Amino acid sequence: MDLIQITKATVGHLTPEIVLLIGGTLIMCASVLTRKSEREDLHVERSNYAFVSLICLLVAMATRYWQGVPTVIQTDLGAFRFDASALAAERLTFLGGLILILMSWSTAPKGRLAEYYGCLLIILAAIPIVGASNDLVTMFLGLELVSIPTYILLGIVKTDNSGAEASLKYFLLSAFASCFFLLGVSYLYGFCGSTNLAVIQASFGEGKRLMALGLLLAICGLSFRITAVPFHFYAPDVFEGTSVTMAGAMSYLPKVAGFVALIRLIGTGTLSAGSSSVVIPVLLGCAALTMCVGNILAVAQNNLRRMMAYSSVAHTGYLLLAFVALIRQDASPGVMFSYLAAYAAMTLGLFACLGEIEAAGGKSHLIGDLAGMFHRRPAASIGLTVALISLIGLPLTAGFWAKFMVFVGTVADRRVDSMSMLMGALMAINAVIAAGYYWRILSTLYSKNESNVPLRVFRPSLFFAYTICTVLTILWFFVPSAM
Amino acid sequence: MNLMIPLLILVPLASALVIFFSGPRANKGLVAFGILAALLTMLLSIGLCFQVYQAPSSLTGVPGVVEPTIEPKVTFVSETLRFVLPISVGGHPIDWQLSFGADGISALMVLLTGIIGFFTIWLAQSQIKNRIETYIALLLVTISMLMGVFLSTDLVSFYIYFEAVLIPLILLIHGWGDGKNPQAASKRFLLFTLAGSIPMVVGLISLAMSPQVHGQPSTVSFSELSRIASQAVASGIPIGSKDSWAVWLLLLGFGIKLAILPLHTWLPMTYAAAHPNTTSLIASVVAKLGLYGILRIVIPLTPVALSIEAQMVIGTLGAIVIVYGALIALSKDNLREVLAFSSLSHVGFITLGLMSLTREGLGGAALQMFNHGLITAAMFWILSMLEQRHGPISLKSQDRGLAAQYPKLAVLLVFFTLAGAGLPGLNGFVGELLTMSGMMRVCGTLVAIAVLGTVLGAWYGLRIVQRLLFGSDGPRIDAHGRALAGTDLQWKEWLPLVCVGLLCLYIGLFPMRTMKLFQPDTDRLARLVEPVSKQTHRDMDTLAVQSTNP
Repeated sequence: MDLIQITKATVGHLTPEIVLLIGGTLIMCASVLTRKSEREDLHVERSNYAFVSLICLLVAMATRYWQGVPTVIQTDLGAFRFDASALAAERLTFLGGLILILMSWSTAPKGRLAEYYGCLLIILAAIPIVGASNDLVTMFLGLELVSIPTYILLGIVKTDNSGAEASLKYFLLSAFASCFFLLGVSYLYGFCGSTNLAVIQASFGEGKRLMALGLLLAICGLSFRITAVPFHFYAPDVFEGTSVTMAGAMSYLPKVAGFVALIRLIGTGTLSAGSSSVVIPVLLGCAALTMCVGNILAVAQNNLRRMMAYSSVAHTGYLLLAFVALIRQDASPGVMFSYLAAYAAMTLGLFACLGEIEAAGGKSHLIGDLAGMFHRRPAASIGLTVALISLIGLPLTAGFWAKFMVFVGTVADRRVDSMSMLMGALMAINAVIAAGYYWRILSTLYSKNESNVPLRVFRPSLFFAYTICTVLTILWFFVPSAM
Repeated sequence: MNLMIPLLILVPLASALVIFFSGPRANKGLVAFGILAALLTMLLSIGLCFQVYQAPSSLTGVPGVVEPTIEPKVTFVSETLRFVLPISVGGHPIDWQLSFGADGISALMVLLTGIIGFFTIWLAQSQIKNRIETYIALLLVTISMLMGVFLSTDLVSFYIYFEAVLIPLILLIHGWGDGKNPQAASKRFLLFTLAGSIPMVVGLISLAMSPQVHGQPSTVSFSELSRIASQAVASGIPIGSKDSWAVWLLLLGFGIKLAILPLHTWLPMTYAAAHPNTTSLIASVVAKLGLYGILRIVIPLTPVALSIEAQMVIGTLGAIVIVYGALIALSKDNLREVLAFSSLSHVGFITLGLMSLTREGLGGAALQMFNHGLITAAMFWILSMLEQRHGPISLKSQDRGLAAQYPKLAVLLVFFTLAGAGLPGLNGFVGELLTMSGMMRVCGTLVAIAVLGTVLGAWYGLRIVQRLLFGSDGPRIDAHGRALAGTDLQWKEWLPLVCVGLLCLYIGLFPMRTMKLFQPDTDRLARLVEPVSKQTHRDMDTLAVQSTNP
């Protein structure tokens, strides 16, 4: 295939992302071009922007639907590669994007609606680009395309001190992490002489130490995105200092981007014995630390946002275990994508239910703020209950299969490595600790105390958002193959 | 294909959903509807027992052919139950066939669930005051999930139902508990049970993957896995030491459910906090889940690792818990706690019987699981009737003389106390005797400890009877000098107790007729595990041989 054909095919496959990028850019320009009329109602303005972004997303989904799954011959296209992982990443992003736009409908910041939706759409376009990247350059571009709009979003959704702290902290640490990633990538490039991931993966077998060093540095950079433990410090502050919707987005979107990049970078089963003897222990140790630190610190929290931040750290630990199983070829990437899908449904559902309280003028920062919520807002409480049961991992919810699959992937190679059984047991202990703090929220919902949860405000968009999440969470239990 | 099995799971579940969605308007009708659904479930469970009783064994009995130790006589297998996860492991896609079925042991437990479930719901109509329709619906969900555990014949559906039992139970404890701090009790119940069951899933998965060692695809079917385990024993392949992980993880999960000694602290707290009507179902059926899991999964699927690693440890803990539970029951005054610890003590006998890994022990344990379910449930029902009339019952005040006031209740209480204490002619005697004679062949010391427990058991049983029922006659006067008014049991109240009592008497008089239901299954299990156990315990049977030799 010559260059023109490749470019044509690439553009063809990237149409959904291009639609989103153009849409996002146009929405951002709209704020400059349209004159603000005094008469215009804030409510109408909110609906207009949200509706336009929803249309953009639906158009992007529709283009992918009409285009169909790429055939095998066209999958490897130089800088991009369209295989099952790329498509799965895109599906996950669009699912999250749909729920996030519905959530934003009534929680987006007043004066900055255009920038808000523009940045959100660009992030949604960037994650599939990371997922489809077959080259270090496109991967890095995709990752930065996720980060930069995130800085803006964190800065505009909340303008008080905590909001400023959150965005500054995220900006500095994220830039730092990007440097790590670039340093690692430069080693890889220096050793292989190519930025193409296929070439790099083919030469994993050679030069043991240098390759391992490069890989480790790149993993460090990505660990920041997925909030793995030594790089998790920003998470609670950022979750606390931003809006409910952005907290939901921060717990989900960077995770998808980071894990998809990890799958792309290390691939499945391409590591040589030399590199894997360095990388796997590091990843296992990181997974163990991430699980334990996340869960233990979450137990100590009274602040709901910080608790959810640590819970998101803990889920990263489980996902890292699945990732190690993936490297060892004991499991398919499906484990991680299914886990992320279940995680999207439960965590975004949870934040959507909290969003309903915030949109009605209530507070949802402390666990105590939710006391007696069931008697005030039964629908949102049921949504919250399903999300929490799913986070605990009990049956009748998607979270059950998500954990079960990670267990299967982890335990599968127990004959080879007795560590895997230990990791399985460690994850089990962590799941129990997690059940403790999720149950605390759950029992607060149904307490008979005087409730401060506001009444009377019904937001259809938020209602749809958590209804979709709840239905998906329950549906995926009965049809796990659809996850 | 047998429709009885899906009906047993779906009838209570569907009627619970009907009650949930019809809302609180049609209160009276919904209660009657719930009772009818439970009655139908009980009739179905009796029907299932008859089917299993009459079903011929499908085993050939040809010597030299390795046969599975678990053989469901009535099965329900459907292509729609094929279970596909969107992942592959070790290059093989996960494609497991889920199946349901019943052999003698599961039929017995299904029968217990049906009977106790129906009467618990029956009694709820007079015991529970607020939100009764939701309470009954949750009980129906619990019954459905319990049926699922007992009827599933593969690891995945077993585990799903095993976990799912938790959800309605926490709500029942949390929402209707009337003791001290039901919130804390439900949290402890949840965390303890999860602390057992989540590590257990690691053990279950490693069991499911174990055929891969022999180059076979992973499977979750009980009979398939038990055939592989029997094969390994028959061909003398020692199962690798890595299996010990799996055994301990499984025993942790089941041990917490059956409240084995260091893991028992959730039990008294839960029993004291939940409504006694709820507790009757928890103590009689839910507490049996752990024992059933050991009988169904641990013993047949990991016989070698169990007998090498854990047999004596768990057996010793079982013997200790008999005495420990009995002693604490003697020292407590709150009747709820006394009954909780007495239940703990009685479960110790069943553990002892299971861990003997002998023919008598396994058969006795299975029978005693049923017996203990009946007796404990009856005791908690009586407690809940007493509490309805008198508030919390303390044994501190002597000479209450309730026998004069409630003659019917007094007769029933004495009857069930004696059944629990193991009076010959009643059902408790048969089961305890069999479990102890099974253990006698393995370790006499443990039996000596256990016998101590029967003496203590009679002691605290008679203490309850003495302090509550006897002491003086005539209408009692309370602390403020008012005459205590109370009516004796209505027919609605004594009917369940009399039914269960007659069943106890029947099993006590004709134990062999009951045991015919499940004896073939426990015998087959014993044929697998007895030789294994004998290999690891060289001095096994020495006691028995000495006692039979003149």
